Amino acid sequence: MLNIQNLHAEVDGKEILKGLSLSLNAGEVHAIMGPNGAGKSTLGYVLGGRNGYAATSGSVTFDGQDLLELEPHERAAAGLFLGFQYPVEIPGVSNVQFLREAANAQRRNRGEAQLSGAEFLKLARAQAAALGMDAEMLKRPVNVGFSGGEKKRNEMVQMGILNPKLAILDETDSGLDIDALKAVGEGINRIMRAPDKAVLLITHYQRLLDYVQPDFVHVLAGGRIVRSGGPELALELEREGYGALAA
Amino acid sequence: MTVLDLPSARQEAWRWSDMEALRAAAASPQAPAGINPADLFLDIDGPRLCFVDGVFEPAHSRPGPVEVTRQIAATDHPLGSLAIGEGWALHLGAEHAATCIQIVHLGTGGENHVPARILLADDAVATLVETFAGTGWANRLTAIALGKGARLMRSVRLVQTGGFVSIRDEAEIGEAASLVSIFLGAGGMGSRIDGALTLTGKGAFAEMGGALLTSGTQRQEAAVAVRHEQIEGTSRQIWRAVAADQSVASLAARVEVARGAQQTDGEQSLRGLLLQRTATVNLKPELEIFADDVKCAHGATVGELDRNALFYLQSRGIGEAQAKALLTHAFVTDALARIGEEPVREAFAADAAAWLEAAL
Ligand SMILES: Nc1ncnc2c1ncn2[C@@H]1O[C@H](COP(=O)(O)OP(=O)(O)O)[C@@H](O)[C@H]1O
Ligand SMILES: [Mg+2]
Repeated sequence: MLNIQNLHAEVDGKEILKGLSLSLNAGEVHAIMGPNGAGKSTLGYVLGGRNGYAATSGSVTFDGQDLLELEPHERAAAGLFLGFQYPVEIPGVSNVQFLREAANAQRRNRGEAQLSGAEFLKLARAQAAALGMDAEMLKRPVNVGFSGGEKKRNEMVQMGILNPKLAILDETDSGLDIDALKAVGEGINRIMRAPDKAVLLITHYQRLLDYVQPDFVHVLAGGRIVRSGGPELALELEREGYGALAA
Repeated sequence: MTVLDLPSARQEAWRWSDMEALRAAAASPQAPAGINPADLFLDIDGPRLCFVDGVFEPAHSRPGPVEVTRQIAATDHPLGSLAIGEGWALHLGAEHAATCIQIVHLGTGGENHVPARILLADDAVATLVETFAGTGWANRLTAIALGKGARLMRSVRLVQTGGFVSIRDEAEIGEAASLVSIFLGAGGMGSRIDGALTLTGKGAFAEMGGALLTSGTQRQEAAVAVRHEQIEGTSRQIWRAVAADQSVASLAARVEVARGAQQTDGEQSLRGLLLQRTATVNLKPELEIFADDVKCAHGATVGELDRNALFYLQSRGIGEAQAKALLTHAFVTDALARIGEEPVREAFAADAAAWLEAAL
């Protein structure tokens, strides 16, 4: 589904990704772990197409398409979802308006019929309920005044509504208490555990992986995948730290 | 009019004004506007008045309580004093209500001047929507006097395709009376929205604000002074300016609190958004306070669209232009949210959205 080959990328003229290769098949959950500053968020932004995060060489294909050729919104329409480490507050735009425009923009891009207001609300309410988010929060401005945990739940509500093929979730577990962590973990499993979908979980800690069992674990350090393995690798990292592995 | 004696940019209060655009509009030849005035009214019940090139058009009007009369301007304001001749007057007696009076001003070129007088007796209520369309120089003087407990809600949209609109409001707001005037500049014309509001009674409320949207080489401007003369008055000046291309949007807002006008609550919020770095937003907040028990919140900032927010929207599937439009619309929303009637607020929001679609 996603095939990253020898990817190099720069931020502000500084090379952050230095030959990263990674491949995900449909039906798989991969975890990327690594120390602070390793380039995990950078990888997410490069895949999402953020301005200023330029791939300088290498290739990324998504379902056979050249991902790097696409505009950010086209990547979303193609089925890519980026869960933000720091979800953005947008005063003056309600969650409902934002997500309805997003869902319909994706549908337009794919040549699908638009959702009516009523259809959208039904979908949004169901996803909010499944994530334990008060439906009233759908009416509030996007993430404004939300706690850290509410913001991350909101990311999962968005994922549920947009129903992507590939989710790249950047530290979706950080800043969550145990209840929120459980809700988010269950959300990921419910929405994304399917034979035609895949997940790339970027995380710092083992604890989310107790809820969302990865098929593969990779260590990102110095802009490269330095080691890959099964779920046991996460436990080993938890025990021994990154120092030894990244060396 | 042959020679226009206009203010010059050397005068501080007029330094951002585009008198060249005003002159050019005044000298422009009349040409059919291709606009049916009937299409400029919102689909809301109530009295209607239509002025084409400053001349009352009975065919498109049903004035109700509004009178069409000739008036002499009682002001020394340099533009307002030019607004003499046929105009309109609304005098409402105590506890009378006149809701959703719509006034359409359509210009086809050249200059036109319309004076207006609004007098609300104690506890009278009126709502008013004005629309400026077409082209040419539309010059208006509106004198407002509100008796005890009277309330006026006024919404004014400037959607001329070109030319210039100059508006001078002079208002006296009596005890516990309330005046809210919200302006939207979302056309291709230049503008000067100029107001002097005086809170003459205890516990009065005065608000003048709105949004100016400029593009190309257009210049729009609002210059408002609010004066608190009595105790327990409240005033709000909430303005948003969005400037694209090489355009200039300017906001000057002044609050004066007279000696003895204790427990005044004033709020002034001036914010500018640059859609390109070649555009300019000028802000000039001013406070002049001679009382000691006064709360005056004020803020003035100019910025660009938030890059993080833009990428967040794009990453969810919204294209760049649409994402910018959403964020820009959100930026002006607070100013337009002050409009009381929902259909009017929606119509103004739609005008702003149409402007954004064209500008982005
Ligand atoms: N916008 C930016 N401008 C400059 N440097 C950046 C920017 N974003 C990230 N970096 C740098 O890139 C490196 C990787 O950062 P990041 O991808 O956020 O790491 P991680 O998510 O693994 O903690 C760090 O050295 C960081 O300082
Ligand atoms: Mg990070």
